[in-house]
Order: sequence, then structure tokens, then C-alpha cells
Amino acid sequence: MASEPDASEISAVFERMVRNRDLTLFLPFIFGLSNAASRREGEDSSPENENEESAQRERIILINPFTQGMVVIDGASSLEALLRDFGRGKGGRPPASKESIDALPCFKIEEGDEGECVICLEEWEAGGEVKEMPCKHKFHPNCVEKWLGIHGSCPVCRYEMPIDEETGKKRDEEDGEERRRRIGREVWVSFSFNGEGRRNENSNQAPSDDSNDS
Amino acid sequence: MIDFSRVQKELVECGKDVEGSGIKLNIKGDSLARLIGSIPGPIGTPYEGGIFKIDITIPDGYPFEPPKMQFTTKVWHPNISSQSGAICLDILKDQWSPALTLKTALLSVQALLSSPEPDDPQDAVVAQQYLKDYQTFVGTARYWTETFAKASSLGIEDKVKKLAEMGFPEAQARSALDAVGGDENLALERLCS
Ligand SMILES: [Zn+2]
Ligand SMILES: [Zn+2]
Repeated sequence: MASEPDASEISAVFERMVRNRDLTLFLPFIFGLSNAASRREGEDSSPENENEESAQRERIILINPFTQGMVVIDGASSLEALLRDFGRGKGGRPPASKESIDALPCFKIEEGDEGECVICLEEWEAGGEVKEMPCKHKFHPNCVEKWLGIHGSCPVCRYEMPIDEETGKKRDEEDGEERRRRIGREVWVSFSFNGEGRRNENSNQAPSDDSNDS
Repeated sequence: MIDFSRVQKELVECGKDVEGSGIKLNIKGDSLARLIGSIPGPIGTPYEGGIFKIDITIPDGYPFEPPKMQFTTKVWHPNISSQSGAICLDILKDQWSPALTLKTALLSVQALLSSPEPDDPQDAVVAQQYLKDYQTFVGTARYWTETFAKASSLGIEDKVKKLAEMGFPEAQARSALDAVGGDENLALERLCS
């Protein structure tokens, strides 16, 4: 199985994380890997496991000892893809800084100017105002200010406006959290170390053969 | 607040070019917040010949937030959930821009049908199959198109829905219809016996 991670692959991955300083994202986690081979030789005689396909998918298990949470990521196509997903900025561009929005020049629409504001799809009206971005794309002041307050990039060409360093950082953290929740088919399991038993919460239609306690 | 005047304009614009694009947008109920989009399967793909319906929900923040789109026609594709119809496409998430429209978003979904990205899957099972056994993938995708996305099969879907509304489980209704060749009354008889 090509995507079956072996020790060298994992260590290479860790090296890269250290290099990219992504390691902080993973520190609370202990990695576990599980795949079909080990499962089939194991205790796999329970009837739920008759589904060959689900048993053959790899699983990646992350354990957070502090919150006593464990996440089983089912069917991640490979460790590589999963980590790429973790590392990639997925929340879109953070808001443009207030100063950069305020600094956009305003123009009056002249008689005979053709076109429309692509945000609200209203055609230009002579005498009205437009704001021009550094990339020369024009929008209604209200329309573009609202958008840049959410994502700091041009709606048309994705020209990137300066962002506020502070909010940028904060959003990155939130996005990390969000990303973690979104990836793959995840099965969240809460457990406790002092043997109070555990609850198994199935977050979506992932196969339920993860709990081998009976 | 949803910018309804923009949605209205988009509906008109899209309606003007149905011939050219094949992309249709219809209002689902009496609100502009729920729409049904439909896209023809791209030629030269296992989806060719199918018409795929997509449920669209316009969020309050539209067009500053992306529309929510989900296939209601079952489709076998690495970036679309074979269970729920959820779509994994960046422009419907963090790469949304208000310069996009419902029509251009649907065109992007259509493009996704032509060029799957198995490395960023929505459906891990389909993606594995795509990567490891491409021929089987094509066969399954084509079979799903034939079964769920063809005009004749749309008829079946309606009948299944009707029977389901009468209280029969959908799977049973479907297999009963299959067994009697799609005749609604015979299927009903079968379900009642
Ligand atoms: Zn505008
Ligand atoms: Zn621009």
C-alpha cells in the first residue's frame, strides 16, 4: 500500500514540521497510526468488521492528554495530504488594515462611464462615488469597505491589501482550530484516564467500528 | 441581510444564457434564499449525459459570504460526498469572492466534475478508488450517472419520493420500483403485500 506511512516517512514529516515551525500545532498530540494489516490480524472477528472497505482505510489517531480527547481521522488519503491540510492557510485572507482601507482614493462617476460594481451588480450612476483599489479595480465605497473588512483582497483579481498584523495572527490561530475540526471524517472520542468509562461520539457517518470495547 | 436585488439580477442574467451555458437556476420555494441549480455533466467525462441538481442556500451575508451548495443528485466523485452531496471546492469556502456569482460558482462545480482533485478529497473512499483503480472509478461514476442523473432516472426518483412520502422506507421503495420495472402501482402493491 503506497500511502501506508512507515517510520522514515513519519520522521521526514516531523523534520519538515520543525523546519516550518508547525510543530507547535502538534505538540499536545500523540500520534498513532492504524491500518488494515494490523487490524485484520488482531481482534477483528466482530461482525461489524465485515465491511472490508472500511477496515482497509488507514486511520490516524491524535491524542491530546491535556483535554483527554482523542480524534480518529478516518480515511485520510495519506499522512502527507493530512499534514498539508493542517499546514495550509485555509481561512482566506484576513481583513485589510483600517488605514489601508481609509487610504483608498475616491472618484466621482462621470457621465458616460460604463460598467458596474461587481459586488452589488448595480451599474455605475453618473455623479455617484467609487473607490479605487491599488490594482485599479473600482467598487462602491460601501461595498468594497465591507468586503475588505472581511477579506483583504480584491474581489476581481485578488490583489492583496496590507493586513493588520495582530488580527492576522489571531485569525490564523482560530483557523487552525477550525481546520482541525474540518479535516477528513473524524470521530471524536472522549475518554478519561481514571477508568470512568468513555463516551463515543460519532461526528458524522464514519464507520462505527472504532470502539472495540464491548 | 441577503442582498435580494443582487440575487434577482443573477437569476435574470443566468436565465438569459441557459442555451449557451446549460446552467439553470430556479427558485425552490417562495423565497430567494433557497434555489435549485442544475448543471449538465461535462462531455467526455463519466458524468456526460447526466443533469445534476444542486441545492443552493443563500446565507444572510451573501454576496460577502459564499452560497452553500450541495448536490441533491447522487454523484460518484472524489471531491463530492457520495453520502451527503457536500462539495469540496475552495471558491465555495475560503476562496469565495463577491465578484463570483451563483452562475460562475455552478460553472466551477461543473469544472470540478471534469477535473477531480483526489489529493484534497471530500469522499475518501471515492478518492482512494480514483487513485488506485481508475477504471473501476470510471465505471462506477458512469453507472451512478446513468442511475441517478438521467432524465429517465429522475422519473424514478420522483416515484421513490412519492412512495417515501406515503411512509415507506426509501430503500424499500426503490427496490420495489426496480423489481417491477418502475411501475408505481405495482410497486405499491408489492410494498403493501
Ligand atoms: Zn456596489
Ligand atoms: Zn483588482
